[in-house]
Amino acid sequence: NLGRDDERFHEELVVRPLSGDHVNTYFQFTTRWHYGEKDNLYHTQLTPRVIAELLQQFAVKELHIGLTQGLWRYETWGYPIVEATSGAEMWAWFSGANLTNRDVDRQWKELANVFSGVLCASLNFVDNTNSIAPRHLIRPQFMPANGQRFVRYATLPREIVCTENLTPWKKLLPCGSASGFASLLNSGHVHNTKYHSLGLKVRVLCEDHDEDNCIVELTQTANLVYDLRLFELSNNDFSLRRLFGMGLNGYCELAESSKIYVQRNELGERYQLVPEPVHEVKTTRGGHSVVYSVYDMHEQFKEAGERLFNVAWLAPKSANRRRNLAKPSLPPVTVHRYLLGHGQERGRIVTEVTNSHYDALPIMLQEVIPWYVHAYLHTLSIRRKPQRVNEYGGQRLTFKLLHYTPGKQRELPSHLEIGFMLPGQTSALISIDVDYLLLKWLEYPPDANHGHYIGSAIVSSQLPMGRNYTALPPEGHLFEHSFNATRPSYVLSLHTEALIVSLPTPDFSMPYNVICLACTVVALAFGPIHSVATKMIIVGRQTSAPKNFVKKIFNQLFRRGKATDETAAEGEGLPAAGAAATGVASGRAAISPGSPSGDQPLLEDLDEEEEEEQD
Amino acid sequence: MDSKFFKLLLLGGAVRFYFCRTPLAPMIGNRVEFATPLNSHKRMQEGIFLLQSGIDPYLGDLVHESPLILSALSGLFQKYPQFLPIFYIILDICTAALLYAMSLRFVKQKQDQQDKERKEYAKDTEELQFGPLDKLDIPELVIVAYLFSPLTVMSCIGMTSTVISNLFLAFFFYCLVKGMLIPCLLVLAFETVRSFYPIVLIAPLLLVFSRNSVRRGVAIAALFIVSCLIVAVANYFVLNSWNFLDGTLGFIFYFRDLQPNIGLFWYFFTEMFEHFRTMFLITFQLNATVLYLVPLSIKLRKEPLLLATVLVALMAVFRAYPSLGDVGFYLALLPLWKRCWKFMAHGFVVFTFFLVTLSMMGALWHLWIYAGSANANFYFGATLAFSTGQIFLITDLLFAHVKREFCLFNGQKILIDGEEARIVLK
Repeated sequence: NLGRDDERFHEELVVRPLSGDHVNTYFQFTTRWHYGEKDNLYHTQLTPRVIAELLQQFAVKELHIGLTQGLWRYETWGYPIVEATSGAEMWAWFSGANLTNRDVDRQWKELANVFSGVLCASLNFVDNTNSIAPRHLIRPQFMPANGQRFVRYATLPREIVCTENLTPWKKLLPCGSASGFASLLNSGHVHNTKYHSLGLKVRVLCEDHDEDNCIVELTQTANLVYDLRLFELSNNDFSLRRLFGMGLNGYCELAESSKIYVQRNELGERYQLVPEPVHEVKTTRGGHSVVYSVYDMHEQFKEAGERLFNVAWLAPKSANRRRNLAKPSLPPVTVHRYLLGHGQERGRIVTEVTNSHYDALPIMLQEVIPWYVHAYLHTLSIRRKPQRVNEYGGQRLTFKLLHYTPGKQRELPSHLEIGFMLPGQTSALISIDVDYLLLKWLEYPPDANHGHYIGSAIVSSQLPMGRNYTALPPEGHLFEHSFNATRPSYVLSLHTEALIVSLPTPDFSMPYNVICLACTVVALAFGPIHSVATKMIIVGRQTSAPKNFVKKIFNQLFRRGKATDETAAEGEGLPAAGAAATGVASGRAAISPGSPSGDQPLLEDLDEEEEEEQD
Repeated sequence: MDSKFFKLLLLGGAVRFYFCRTPLAPMIGNRVEFATPLNSHKRMQEGIFLLQSGIDPYLGDLVHESPLILSALSGLFQKYPQFLPIFYIILDICTAALLYAMSLRFVKQKQDQQDKERKEYAKDTEELQFGPLDKLDIPELVIVAYLFSPLTVMSCIGMTSTVISNLFLAFFFYCLVKGMLIPCLLVLAFETVRSFYPIVLIAPLLLVFSRNSVRRGVAIAALFIVSCLIVAVANYFVLNSWNFLDGTLGFIFYFRDLQPNIGLFWYFFTEMFEHFRTMFLITFQLNATVLYLVPLSIKLRKEPLLLATVLVALMAVFRAYPSLGDVGFYLALLPLWKRCWKFMAHGFVVFTFFLVTLSMMGALWHLWIYAGSANANFYFGATLAFSTGQIFLITDLLFAHVKREFCLFNGQKILIDGEEARIVLK
């Protein structure tokens, strides 16, 4: 449908009031380019050059990067439009002729290095020790059924998202932060939110078996959740100026469309919008209806003149208290994850999945357990309980699908994927025993006692209805494509909390001491054993040393007199020694003729001292 | 076999059966002093589970047991897990029975040798010679030292695979004393492919079976190499993969897992600078194997069983992942050298070292890992002192043996000018 060389850019902003005095603002910037064949990638207009070069260098078909700070609360906020986990997350689908696993691993690492520069994030730490090849989850959205699957996935839960990531992210946009919706994203306000997530998605869509007729689609998203109570207002009114520090100064001139969608039903029902919206859209999806008011920036700024566009949400004052206490309805599937056990030796990773729907739902769970934690697959178990009961009993579910790759220290993480059916209004507890490892002293991060992270697990399901579901369909690329997008089922993907484990730590100041002490103990064995093995037993005179100076002098005089006797004794001893030698049939020479004279050196210092004097 | 022997076996089994039903058993199975990466029951379970699930256990680095043992025990582990403690108790009782039979034979051989050499002995050396009562006393002491040693009891109830290692070593000693060459070679080859360090026991085997013939010695060495290859190929056919070599022998040599234990490796290589790691790995592995092999073989060439005992003891001290089950095994061999005890001067010191350090290890581990009020140095100090105590014991036994050999032929009291002389090494 699109002509060749078409390049289009769209801006969208979705504002949704959430439960508990929170507001979700979702930005989506979509660039789509029908470039045709690969050589045309050298001539970019709206698409960033780095994305075009990416497609020349790597056989990447789909790339997803998320940089997130904070935790999305499923129980109170429902499901986000774009799913993300805390820290940095990255996954890619590689496809091409003659690709091997080794090629894909190399490209994956290079791709991560490229984007560590593009987004100023620590994606260069993505390597084999924290990457997996997902088998069942994280399916590329347009993966052919029979095609070869080279998918790589990695998370860096320790990554902190801040200004240095937002600025280069905005630079990828055609208008940057000068005009358009991106001008609302100021660091001071973005990083004052409860939750903020930057996303980048690249898809290459080609006609079947025709690599010369392709579209590259770049989608950049920013998902923010504000806590209105932080604004210190007497009521729950808010506005764009309040959320972002300024109103809109216009729209991106290069944008095909620039629209703001405001949710008007459910929690948005009680707000009065100023200015009054001109358009409203009612969308029904999977039996669930949502009403959006639409502000088209092209219409708002049709007349010339400098002004700032602002939207204000006014809450009725009398109904504040009562409506705030209304409990939100639980979404169909919620997930949690935590660590059991105490100490730095072992524990248990527990993932809890709750199905609030009345019917059974298929559940898929993917865990990536880093190499510094040993997981024992034989301890994997799924226990279940009715949703309203607090304690888990002995009832167990069986997993219908199991994929496990054991981890290797300093090389590979453990990779676990399980699938099971979760009955309606039931909770499941998936637990696996783990041991914590002692690392080499240089393998600890600078703050070793902070602990080490285990990335979040991914839980995937298929919902039969569209309640709480706001994600885009796979074939869509604009938020408005989710309007009236009824399907037989809706693929849901959730992330659990990341975990932090305390590993045992050595004393980092001890390398030389330990080396010296251990070698000393080895020397305690080496010396005596080789001494026993290489020396002979001899017989020495039993002597005692004089105790003080006076006795020493006296002993010397006495010994000098004794020397004469010793000479005589030696002479007398010769016949006896000869007789003894004759008598010993074994011929052992242990008693040497010289021994009786006591000339052999002895071990004690004083004895040696005497002997030296004699010499 | 007399009835006392069977009573002791039953009593040893009863003690183990009692303790394996107490909360002590799972606790011991997790203690780092008994359960190492090589012999842990949890890792054995994991290996068998992965094997049965069609996953190569050696793709990860959690499983380090040989494939033949995983395959042989998988039925028992999967179908009858409640009988596992009984199985390990039976293995331990078989080890004790083998040690008893070996001791009987050994004392008889010693007495026969004495009868030939008696006229060469000095007059006052009756207490240094094997007496008539030793024929019953020494085997009894050996079996008591094995069955009722707390180290072997707890190693058994913890279901560590050191129980299997001790059984193979006891069988090796039995075949060595009995003079059965082929079973001796096979069990030594199996244990060598399984845990690398028993290769040093080829020296006492050659001393026993070559009978001073170089050609025969070379033939036996070649036969040993062939046996090792046969065992390796048999292990290969369990999984049709050579991954197990890196998972067992490679893991031992490269010391990849730094889990604390009672040996010297763990903290040394935790605090090692990466640049020197390979050099010290080679040095420490030489120290655990061939560094003492040549001088001890030359010195003890007339006493191959003492050579084997000392080599097993040095293995227990210097191997990469020692456990207290290894220590319990060689302590049970000490009654064989009962007639050397007169000359062992450090018995009290060694006993005190063992008692204090074994008590402190549990406390210091808890303070480091759970309470947080100590650090790794405390536990390292305890393991260092324990190794020192073991070294004192081994060197004391060696020196005592040398003294006994000297005094047998020269008497215990040697007079020079009417004064008693002192025996020193030179």
